[in-house]
Amino acid sequence: MENVTSIDERGARPVRPVRLRLGWSWLGVVPFLLFCTAFMFLPTAFLVIGSVLDSDGIVTLQNYADLSTGIIPNAFANSIEISIVTAVGGGVFGFLLAYAVILGGLPRFLRTALMTFSGVASNFAGVPLALAFIFTLGQAGFATALLKDVGIEIYPGFRLTSKTGLELVYMYFQFPLMVLIIAPALEGLRREWREAAENMGATPRQYWRYVALPVLAPSILGAMILLFGNSFGAQATAFQLTGGTLNIVTLVISSQIRGDVLHNPGLGYAMAMGMVVIMAISIGLYSILQRRSERWLRS
Amino acid sequence: MFTTRTLTRWAGLLAASAILFAACSTPAGTTAPSAGSAAPPPGSAAPSAASGAPSGAAGGTYEEFAPDQALLDAAKTEGTLTTIALPHDWCNYGESISVFKERTGLSINELDPNAGSGDEIEAIRANKDNPGPTAPDVVDVGLSFGPAAKEEGLLQAYKVATWDTIPESAKEADGFWWGDYYGVLSFEVNTAVVSNVPQDWADLLKPEYKGQVALAGDPRTSNQAIQAVYASSLANGGSLDDAQPGLDFFKQLNDAGNLVPIIATAATVAAGETPITIRWTYNALSNRDTTAASGGPTIEVVVPASGRFAGVYVQGISAFAPHPNAAKLWQEFLYSDEGQNTWLKGYCHPIRYESLVAENKVPQEQLDKLPDVEGAVFPSLDQLNAATKLITEQWDSVVGANIQ
Amino acid sequence: MTGPAIGPRAPGALETIAASARVGRRRRPRAVWSWLIFLVGALYFLVPLVATFLHSIRTRPDIFLAYRQVLADPDFFVGLGYSFVVGVITIVVSLLIIVPTAYWVRLKIPRLRPLVEFVTLMPFVVPPVVLVFGLIRIYSGGPLILASSDLGLNTMLVGAYVILSFPYMYRAVDTGLAAIDVRMLTEAAQSLGSGWARILWRVIFPNLRTALLSGAFLTLAIVIGEYTIANFLARNQAFGPYLSLLGRNQPFTPAAVSLISFALTWMAMGIIAFLGRSSRQRVQVAGAR
Repeated sequence: MENVTSIDERGARPVRPVRLRLGWSWLGVVPFLLFCTAFMFLPTAFLVIGSVLDSDGIVTLQNYADLSTGIIPNAFANSIEISIVTAVGGGVFGFLLAYAVILGGLPRFLRTALMTFSGVASNFAGVPLALAFIFTLGQAGFATALLKDVGIEIYPGFRLTSKTGLELVYMYFQFPLMVLIIAPALEGLRREWREAAENMGATPRQYWRYVALPVLAPSILGAMILLFGNSFGAQATAFQLTGGTLNIVTLVISSQIRGDVLHNPGLGYAMAMGMVVIMAISIGLYSILQRRSERWLRS
Repeated sequence: MFTTRTLTRWAGLLAASAILFAACSTPAGTTAPSAGSAAPPPGSAAPSAASGAPSGAAGGTYEEFAPDQALLDAAKTEGTLTTIALPHDWCNYGESISVFKERTGLSINELDPNAGSGDEIEAIRANKDNPGPTAPDVVDVGLSFGPAAKEEGLLQAYKVATWDTIPESAKEADGFWWGDYYGVLSFEVNTAVVSNVPQDWADLLKPEYKGQVALAGDPRTSNQAIQAVYASSLANGGSLDDAQPGLDFFKQLNDAGNLVPIIATAATVAAGETPITIRWTYNALSNRDTTAASGGPTIEVVVPASGRFAGVYVQGISAFAPHPNAAKLWQEFLYSDEGQNTWLKGYCHPIRYESLVAENKVPQEQLDKLPDVEGAVFPSLDQLNAATKLITEQWDSVVGANIQ
Repeated sequence: MTGPAIGPRAPGALETIAASARVGRRRRPRAVWSWLIFLVGALYFLVPLVATFLHSIRTRPDIFLAYRQVLADPDFFVGLGYSFVVGVITIVVSLLIIVPTAYWVRLKIPRLRPLVEFVTLMPFVVPPVVLVFGLIRIYSGGPLILASSDLGLNTMLVGAYVILSFPYMYRAVDTGLAAIDVRMLTEAAQSLGSGWARILWRVIFPNLRTALLSGAFLTLAIVIGEYTIANFLARNQAFGPYLSLLGRNQPFTPAAVSLISFALTWMAMGIIAFLGRSSRQRVQVAGAR
């Protein structure tokens, strides 16, 4: 995508100098920002303010200093790891699934079935999902028993309540999310391009390398960022599945600001601000990769 | 309200309570040594009375709740009561709610039944300026939240009619909060999976229970889970002042592979994934009943032979309650004989238990259904806070994350 | 040798036929892979649902006891219905905000894209409980009081849900926009004299059909499954609070409830998909370069 700074507005608006035009353009996002302010920024102002207060209400930066202590760095590391793994894993398999039903020659009704199913499954998270997997792969689970019958003992090597188990469970909503997001991009992939490439003697690999992936790369990256954020912010599933043994950021935050024990909500808020920083960094990295992929497209 | 009948009843209650308190003064085993705590051992009378039916009682009866007319009229102008964090199967609150509606004609607006104590207090704070339906009138929170909420000015004082029959140690002197019920930590066991039911804390360490023991919450945030760890210290060489052995016990449990990190619910117990769960007696017994009613596996509830630990929850009225009279009426109901017995039907020991029993206000069949909790000890507020601090801070490092 | 210029006997025809045959043969192995992937996916998705179902029928003597209880409870359907309506309203509001914004950003101010994307990802960072209490605090005093009336609380609910939908809606719409040539379409429409509103409504929206459907599905799923915000906003008629009241400590009923709501939500999505299907062939505009 090129940097569009001007457009022929014949018939739409009188021509104005570039500087002012950009000034007018900013207005276009005002409704969006207003809405975000009313329903997100203002309510979470308490979060920002709270992060610099201690339990007695005195201004302090101690909460931020505490971010490097105790289990918090480990929690951030775990969360980032799980999010990256499920974003990439979910992205890859989700992409393959979407490709299979849209361009892979499967009957049309399967595509609708997968899209609608993905809609439901994308939000099938929290306690019902955790329980579903516990019933399947838990120690007394349905699949565990079946595997045992054919001689495969997955325990104790595999534990559903480990990080790997949690990642496996997270895929349940990551795959569908990828499918739904990448579908329009796959539709944008013209069949004619493939045929043209083949008529010119391209192998599938060449087609993918020079035609399909460059076109799809920005969308795939964007979708993966979404998957990353989705996983990063998830909490209820991990809580039910791992109880008090896995440290991830969202669980530590909720243990500070909720629950039956009096903790330090300021610390929780500071951790949330830490999450904001991480999301900002991911967006930054994504933008860089985005621009690179555009160059790839043009090359 | 002050009929002769009521006065005689109160006099009798006071006399009975006084006698009971005197009679049940601490033989060595009833309360754990609490050398460090300044407060007198709280509720020490409770265990003896809770252990069984008063001899010779053929079965008590109690009267229906009769609301005070003035209060009822004031509440009726408000029309509704907003509650929070009252699951219907917790202490039989479902019945309390429907009976209250019947007796008073008020409607009840129930906010999040699964809210934790912290959420309840936060709800009061956030709704300070809001008289709308999102503001809770009454709260039912863990013991440590009572004083904290009072400090912050979030509660208003009120003393129910039966105030004097609530044990001293379970209420705030000026009436800002008061105890409502207690239970003892027990093992909820799915006997279809576990044939040899554990009888005590030490049994849980046996290799036959590998991958079978679970808590009903996160020990860093859930009252029930934290107190389970605290309770295990009593049986592991610790005391009410020393919760460290509890952490060590759970470390052993985890290292032996017996501890499952899954948060146990009735579903996971019935499915056999967490066949041994540590929970309050009232929750375990209520689960036992609902599982039996659906034809699920037989659940047995075992109060451990040693290390019997009781936990109290407290009631409070929000200082910003939009319906203060309805709130007060609700409290009067809960602390009436009928209200207390309704809790009892949910297997919760209501805080006025001894006086009710002494007055012969509890039906025999209810008494028979209660588990034997003799010897259960109650921590004081200071002991509880110290233990909570220790457990929540140390859990990660001592028991820790056993992640692959 | 002379012969027909085109057709199967034209010069070069054999090569073309062979080429098409090659293409045809190559298409079949692709379908095998597609089936394989689809089946693996189906297995992964369906097995946990089957396990949940098997758990829910452990009731005795009536194995469908849990289902009977749920389906006999009118509150279940009231809850689902209310949440569905709220979901549809949320979808509409979200679309009306996101589509013009994403379009405008892509077209006019691409430098702002990272900022806008960052803002749309913020809902992942804010714990719902913080959001809802913050909303109550702000709208219970001050210039705009929403927290004491039913209408006000419903507005707050929709507002919060729209915010929660932003990450998904924006990403879906943005991906859809990437697949069509926005600039060219806009120029073409403008040269025919269209104003911005018309462009959006007649040109952009119709070309984003799949993307909008994806966004709608994701939003509906969020609204139906959400319970924290609905609970604290006293929206007891919503599905989430209904589930909360059902009790965490029922052994078999929650499994039945989650399967039934899964099925019903899937049907609802099917309805939306049906309503949103294109009535004519998609206009193939030259896609992204």
